Amino acid sequence: MNGETVMTFPAFLGQSTLVELNTLTWVKWILWLLVGFFGVFPGIVAYLVWAERKVAARFQDRIGPNRVGPLGLLQPIADAIKLLTKENIVPRSADQFVHLLAPVIILVSAFLVLAVIPFAAGLAPVNLPSGLIYLVAVSSLSPLGIFLAGWSSRNKYSLLGAMRAVAQLVSYEIPQVLSTIPIVLWAGSLSLVTIFDRQLESGWFILSPPGLLAFLIFLIASIAEVNRTPFDLPEAESEIIAGYHTEYSGMRFGLFFLAEYMSVFGVSCLGTALFLGGGSIVPFAPLSEFPMSILGSTWVSYLLVDTILVSVFLTKVLGFVFLMFWVRVTLPRMRVDRLMNFAWKFMVPLAIANILIAAVWYELVLRPGPSRFGSAYMSNGLANWLIGWLVTGPMVLFLVWFVIWFNRRVRFSADEVPSVTHGPRVSAAVGTR
Amino acid sequence: MSQIVFLVIAALGLLAALGTVLARNLVHAALYLIAFFFIVACQFVMLEAEFLAAIQVLVYIGAVAILLIFGIMLTRNIQGDDTTSVTKALAAPGLVVVLGLFFVLVFGINNHVGLKNRSGWPLQSSRPPVTEPATPGEPVSRRERAINDMGRTVGVELVTRYALAFEVTGIMLTAALVGAIALAHRDVVQEAPPVGDSSTKRATTPIKSLPLATSGAAASTVNSGKV
Repeated sequence: MNGETVMTFPAFLGQSTLVELNTLTWVKWILWLLVGFFGVFPGIVAYLVWAERKVAARFQDRIGPNRVGPLGLLQPIADAIKLLTKENIVPRSADQFVHLLAPVIILVSAFLVLAVIPFAAGLAPVNLPSGLIYLVAVSSLSPLGIFLAGWSSRNKYSLLGAMRAVAQLVSYEIPQVLSTIPIVLWAGSLSLVTIFDRQLESGWFILSPPGLLAFLIFLIASIAEVNRTPFDLPEAESEIIAGYHTEYSGMRFGLFFLAEYMSVFGVSCLGTALFLGGGSIVPFAPLSEFPMSILGSTWVSYLLVDTILVSVFLTKVLGFVFLMFWVRVTLPRMRVDRLMNFAWKFMVPLAIANILIAAVWYELVLRPGPSRFGSAYMSNGLANWLIGWLVTGPMVLFLVWFVIWFNRRVRFSADEVPSVTHGPRVSAAVGTR
Repeated sequence: MSQIVFLVIAALGLLAALGTVLARNLVHAALYLIAFFFIVACQFVMLEAEFLAAIQVLVYIGAVAILLIFGIMLTRNIQGDDTTSVTKALAAPGLVVVLGLFFVLVFGINNHVGLKNRSGWPLQSSRPPVTEPATPGEPVSRRERAINDMGRTVGVELVTRYALAFEVTGIMLTAALVGAIALAHRDVVQEAPPVGDSSTKRATTPIKSLPLATSGAAASTVNSGKV
């Protein structure tokens, strides 16, 4: 990739990534910590739980929580008080220190993910130059916490759940990370703020065949990463009680609960920032700059733009979260072998080949430059965009068809030779998908 | 200020390293090792290399440590209960190896030869300025570019200056991977019981009708590991 072409893109805010450690920065960080990370985010998580109970209830033709407060709106607070006042039981044979450490690691990992998300203009807690890789790194801490939780409990079910969890998380982390590489390729940067700016210039990244495929891979892998149905084998209650947090009670269990919903919120924010254009309203290129294009130098315009950006961002996040709730109440749990096959035989090849198609899209559409209103670029950009769709669309379709066809072919040819036994079957999860 | 922070972090790192060696429980030793990896990541942050710090956490804590713990669980007592102990016969050769490594490192670090136009890094005590470019023509200084765009900088260095080391490491890792697969791969045909009616039927039965088959297999594996 050519460094010069990237440098010539106009930047929206003067985003110097070198942080100056003056008083203002300290005040900003302390405010983020106190208001955001201790106040707003746990509150959002509490009401996510309420929303999930309501949504699931509606899907199952029930009413859901409606006793505590109007519409059951005070239910999360009641739940929190209940969890805090419950007795905290630690098994006698458990490894005391590790038993305490495990939920803390998971919670820290879930919180740290939110530290680089650009919620609006200037509203990213920290703008790291390599924010995406930081995000991958901190979210890779959670398998460790889950494993330690299962190991320290001295319980077979916990250990089983932990081993399932680690195997699943390690497997699905790979397609999740690979599906973000097209974004890095298109934005030419690992900083989430820069990725947001590029989407304002060139339209949302989901609006291209490789972007769409990458988004789908990201969505599936994210659901698996946060251990939700249909990928909730680590805590499958009908098989292994509650998996790795069987032996946790009181607020320590509450921490697991908090961490799970926090990471649901985290991956939704990440998906919104990477694929859905952050807080921009119109997905197409010239208009996607909209809320940012009226940003002036006064505080009023700043406030106005940030209000629009944050509300649009949160709406998209809620849509993403609703999608996860929907999937959860609709699909049954997957089987272990199908889970692994699906990760390694479908998602990983798709994600890797998708990077190549993303490079084609970059050459056809993004490198010629953004299309702008009232300039000669406009028609040019539109033509490039159409050509890009016509070229990469069939490529993506062919890729998906080929991967499915190849895996089915392997399975059926194995079926036709009955004399060879296969040990544990390695059939592909095609039939139900 | 940063000197004090460095000393505190380094002391914590040494403690974690000692804990790794002295811990009786294998999983605890692995935990100390993870703490040590984290301390190394902190040192990278102190050196303004947050990209490398993230890579350190991602590769060492997120992948190597997890594999290590998996290895402990799959090869030994699953709870890691049995304490590690060094047999007396191995103590003397172990000591020799450790001391030898120590002296090699001390000698190598103290006699480090710098690149063509630079002195060795143990002799450099200052860093180039962040704001002023080294040569007047450049828009930003090399240090600022390296900090703000470290992913690209590291990538370019890997495929230009360190291309050979990069490729050799890649080949080595591939060979290790192939070797591991060759060691772990069992020939399925040999293991199969003599072909009878039931086994043939089982192979052709759609696995849909056996929803718990594999989780049961996983459970039995874990149980046999415990024995």
